Amino acid sequence: MIVGYPFFILTCTHKSLYFINKIPKPFISSLFSMKYLRAFLSLVIAGGLTYLLNRPLGVLPSLGPFFSPFTGFWQNADAPLKLPPSEMKLAGLKGEVTVEYDDNGVPHVFADNDEDLYFAQGYIIARDRLWQMDFYSRVAAGRLSEVMGPLALDFDRYNRRLQLPEGAEKLVEAFMKDPISKMIVESYSAGVNAYIEQVSYKEMAIEFKILGYTPEAWSPLKTALVEMVMRKDMNARSDDYRMSNALTKYGKEVVNDLFPDYPIEESPIIPVGTKWAFTPVAVPKVPELMKEAIAAKLDIEAENPGIGSNNWAVHGSRTATGLPLLANDPHLGLSLPSIWYQMQLVSPTVNVYGVCVPGWPGIGIGFNKDIAWGMTNVGSDVFDFYQIQFKDKTLKQYKYNNEWRPVTMKVNEFKVKGLPTMTTDTVLYTHHGPILYSEGQKPFFGDLPVGHALTWVGPVAQGNSLKALYISNRGKSYEDYQKIMGLLAAPGFNLVFASNQNDIAITSSGHFPLKWKEQGKFILDGSNPEHDWRSWIPVEHNPSVKNPMRGFVSSANQFPADRSYPYYLGWKFAPGERGIRINERLSAMEKATVDSLRLMQGDNFNIEARRILPDLLKILEQDASAKANPAYPILAKWNMRNDPSEVGATIFERLVRELRLAIWEDDFPSKDEKTPMSLPTRDRTWELLKKQPTSKWFDDTRTTNKIETADDIVKTTFKATIDSLTAKYGPMTHATWAWGTAKSTDIKHLVPLFKSFSRMDVINGGGANIVNATTDAGHGPSWRMVVQLDKNWPKAYGIYPGGQSGNPGSPLYDNMIDKWAKGELNELVFLKSKDEKHPKVVSTVKLKH
Amino acid sequence: MVYTLIIVLSAIAQYFGPWWLMPIICFGLCFWKSETAKGAYGIAFAAISTLWLSYATYQNIVTQGVITNKIAELFRIPNATLLFTAVTFVGGTVAGFAGMAGYYCRAAFVSTK
Repeated sequence: MIVGYPFFILTCTHKSLYFINKIPKPFISSLFSMKYLRAFLSLVIAGGLTYLLNRPLGVLPSLGPFFSPFTGFWQNADAPLKLPPSEMKLAGLKGEVTVEYDDNGVPHVFADNDEDLYFAQGYIIARDRLWQMDFYSRVAAGRLSEVMGPLALDFDRYNRRLQLPEGAEKLVEAFMKDPISKMIVESYSAGVNAYIEQVSYKEMAIEFKILGYTPEAWSPLKTALVEMVMRKDMNARSDDYRMSNALTKYGKEVVNDLFPDYPIEESPIIPVGTKWAFTPVAVPKVPELMKEAIAAKLDIEAENPGIGSNNWAVHGSRTATGLPLLANDPHLGLSLPSIWYQMQLVSPTVNVYGVCVPGWPGIGIGFNKDIAWGMTNVGSDVFDFYQIQFKDKTLKQYKYNNEWRPVTMKVNEFKVKGLPTMTTDTVLYTHHGPILYSEGQKPFFGDLPVGHALTWVGPVAQGNSLKALYISNRGKSYEDYQKIMGLLAAPGFNLVFASNQNDIAITSSGHFPLKWKEQGKFILDGSNPEHDWRSWIPVEHNPSVKNPMRGFVSSANQFPADRSYPYYLGWKFAPGERGIRINERLSAMEKATVDSLRLMQGDNFNIEARRILPDLLKILEQDASAKANPAYPILAKWNMRNDPSEVGATIFERLVRELRLAIWEDDFPSKDEKTPMSLPTRDRTWELLKKQPTSKWFDDTRTTNKIETADDIVKTTFKATIDSLTAKYGPMTHATWAWGTAKSTDIKHLVPLFKSFSRMDVINGGGANIVNATTDAGHGPSWRMVVQLDKNWPKAYGIYPGGQSGNPGSPLYDNMIDKWAKGELNELVFLKSKDEKHPKVVSTVKLKH
Repeated sequence: MVYTLIIVLSAIAQYFGPWWLMPIICFGLCFWKSETAKGAYGIAFAAISTLWLSYATYQNIVTQGVITNKIAELFRIPNATLLFTAVTFVGGTVAGFAGMAGYYCRAAFVSTK
């Protein structure tokens, strides 16, 4: 038990004092007077104890202040109706700011000018989420180990190698060049700092108390670092290395067949047949590909099916009100404190409501009187590796364009908590970017790479997200929507839009490198200039559509456009099922309402089951032992919905996962130590199973006495699936095998070690490729919003799985989770002015200069 | 008397200032008035235990225990009662030694006869 240590000290010191009494007096008095010694020793013990308890002991916080009920953790507990103080003086404000809190803890901020507005936004959000903001900025700065210790060191090294800090510095330069973004980020920082200066230990977030550090002053750089976290989360994944291994082993023809550049079943974001309203610029010709076998290894997170999102807007011609409806649910890693924070921001230039990321000023996803907008991740390939040929073992030069170019070196320093000296990490740079890991160094994901330089959009894409949000927050029409396109550089977002002038639109916005076809599908040749990223796709040429014939726009991270789009964005996007389902439902919807869109956000229908389950059942039907298995009739009668109560969903989801592995792992070992490969997509797998059931790929090359067909693999996998489910959940019962229980979603605290600050095993339906995209890995709809546009005043609904407060001791820490799990939404309080009397407003705070 | 004074004065001090004013007050009051070392230790221990335990209990009640179990679990303390015990013990021990130091210092530096 970790509390044992200080008590041990206490007990020892106590005993030692009585020990003094037993020392023979003549001996002592011959040296000192006994009374002085006693006084001295007792002072040392009392003072020493106080000193010891006033500082962190190993992993323990400073127990004195932490346990004291006057300053410690009990002070972090909020009573159910704790209202913030009603008036506050803040140096730095120009005028007076009124903050109305509604009963869900959402602040509605009314300021006399924009400087005060962003100042107040910073101040208010810091009160609820300062530790989280500090945490995000530390992640991107690669400085988490300073406060978390050696555990976080590898993570820090990796984030520094990704150049997140350098990227942030460039963002700050861009912010500072523009007077508007400069005003925003400086006012916001000043507001956060006004809180930091004011906060005492007693009021400080409990994470600061436990981890034993205090917040640093906020700065524009920290805001930029938060943006870099988002770029990394959305873009920093790659299967280039695994694809290269497959290419080396099987050649281009097989790879073309099994890893096609466009799915068999897809419903792209821009409706098929849409004409492109631009003349494309010349696309670079495909150069000679790298011939040499890849000697170096690279292991990096390949795909993350949990990061994705849905959004759509329905034109007034298809809604009950005659004006558009807009819905958005970004799927991210679910965490506590939540990634989002709801706010209404009002000044003479703006009145906007929505969610923002703590640390990032403005409203990210939201609505105002006239427009609404939302975002999903584009997920194009903007993260490429180049194989680097060094001249010799000194790694001082590398080959490029038939010359030797110098390698530059940078030493990253880490001040790790608990380590006596500075830890360093030497990074080699080529003009492509950093060598992600050098030989002999341990990579962050798995084992060993050598000599691969990374080029990715994170540290190079420019733009100005703050200006973009400034414009969208004040947007009135489609013209304003178009103005922000060039400003949103990275990550790329499918930006959905609707206005009360009955316009709807969607654009895959962002800065995308202008690539030759399949550039970056495999590892690129670092010595060939034709493999470099040369320029960008003109932003006006990004896939975009306004008011399409079908009367709605939507995205679910699928291919932005069909094959008629003239530019290469990537060979693989999120699986098409969510997009297919959304587009089918929206096509069928007449007179859509808020409620029909809400229900659609929680839609659990399994498109993949519709596609493949009948074929699987047909095969299993022929197998007496499978048919006799009690799981068979359950699967056969399953309604193909991933509802929490369905056992069929549990069996199906496991079956298709195992099936893909059973078919491919012998030929494309994804976990192989030496040459891991990508598995063909599920889309390609099901096509093969349906159309070519006797393909050689079904043969399990690990068995020598038999040539398997699709039927054999399906039958044996079904049995294996039931066996592994039984091993995991016990014999099949409705209670233990129901999808909600089997999947169960964990919403963990940002420090996973703080288990008691997490909400584990939240029961709900859905799945990775279900519109209700809640996964067992803790990903899912991190904010659900539905907005009903109106000529006068919009109505909006929203919820996220957490609460406004970042404080685990607040009733508003996780109060929305249960409602979220049920698929319900809160009506959002969108005030017209600070004088509006709304029954849900429970307290008012005045901020004065 | 000393018991009550420790509670009242240290409550005021801790409410407005850092927690370590508490041992200073225990030291001061026991310096001013205490009979024996053990007595000083005991009375300071008892006073601060009472104060910390009562205030913690009050906080726990008004906040409906929203944080107590979470902290107990985080520190791998099996139940909330033990957490209260630990808190009381830490506060009491610091206070006790400070009180005892108060007594010994008086005995050393102030002539009692």
